[in-house]
Amino acid sequence: MNGPITVRVFAIVGNGFCVASDDGQKVHDQIAIALRDGKKVNLSFLNVESLTSAFLNAAIGQLYGEFSEEQIKAGLSVKDMSNDDLALLKRVVETAKQYFKDPKRFKKAREEVLEDGDDNQNS
Amino acid sequence: MDMVNANWLDANMCAAFGAILYKVERKTNTVNLVNLQKGVETILSKNGFLSHYGREKKLDTYGTTIEYKMFKRQEDQSFASYVEKNLVGKGIPKMSQGLRKKFFESMFEIFSNAASHSRTKMGIFSCGQFFPRMNHLDFSVTDLGVGIQQNVNEYTRQVLTAEQAINWAMEGNNTTKVGQIPGGLGLKILREFIIMNQGKIQIVSDKGYWELSDGKVYMKAFSEPFPGTTVNIEINTADTNSYCLSSEIRSEDVF
Repeated sequence: MNGPITVRVFAIVGNGFCVASDDGQKVHDQIAIALRDGKKVNLSFLNVESLTSAFLNAAIGQLYGEFSEEQIKAGLSVKDMSNDDLALLKRVVETAKQYFKDPKRFKKAREEVLEDGDDNQNS
Repeated sequence: MDMVNANWLDANMCAAFGAILYKVERKTNTVNLVNLQKGVETILSKNGFLSHYGREKKLDTYGTTIEYKMFKRQEDQSFASYVEKNLVGKGIPKMSQGLRKKFFESMFEIFSNAASHSRTKMGIFSCGQFFPRMNHLDFSVTDLGVGIQQNVNEYTRQVLTAEQAINWAMEGNNTTKVGQIPGGLGLKILREFIIMNQGKIQIVSDKGYWELSDGKVYMKAFSEPFPGTTVNIEINTADTNSYCLSSEIRSEDVF
């Protein structure tokens, strides 16, 4: 396996306001592609000024609907985050783990991921 | 609309007022506000509200207003710029760096919540006002969407009253979200912040009224429904809490 790739949140969002769920989705998509390819991801929050749970839920929380905790732990790392932002991310991760413990939600999330995959293949 | 009896209007409430008037206008009506008392007219001219009703905007000399503005659901980034523009460098210098960051993030959480849950097609309205003598900063976000009661009752399959439904949404990690993206944290973070700040949250949705102040929750039912949801937060700007965590979190422990 090659070394980790760096995904820069600032570059994807275009500025330091990481508040929108849609922007979080773009970050998520980059991470998910890399993890599916078996690559390790180093996610940089350099120059990020504001973070919301909505952004982090979309960017990272939803990964727990597709990947196991072990896969995420082994494949994803974060850097350039303040202690407060790390605390927020930790809460988002804990909430996501809890959220996907509900089998109905997990099943629905998996189905949506598979449907998205089909759409991508058909497009 | 005859405003002759309105001798005071909390400027942040322009969010709710403007939303209602917008809904009226969408039914092919023209709205005019007449007989405005001088004080009310001045503040509503300064925050840009009356610009929507054929008046000129007045200069906000003391920098205490947060402009009245309408956003589409997808305009999170515009909302972020609006917050930045309206809070930075204005007459709100007392807030510590940590408090300001928390306040920004609270406003974003409220906006995100309205954008993701309301299903509104008529936009999201916001407005704020700084009350320097009272050390309060009030900020309101209103949507004309389905309301909290409908969302919660559809999800929980219960028949909760509007105020019970708001209370459900504000408790624990409760969320009506289903699907790929988890939720249920934004309002919890907001609630924790407001308690620590000794501020206030007021929510009106349908016939329900819910308030958190002095760490306690108050609820009541109105006789008539509000056509959507409005959230008002009141921040204590004299708060000296640092909002910095005392314990260090290691990035490798996050996942």
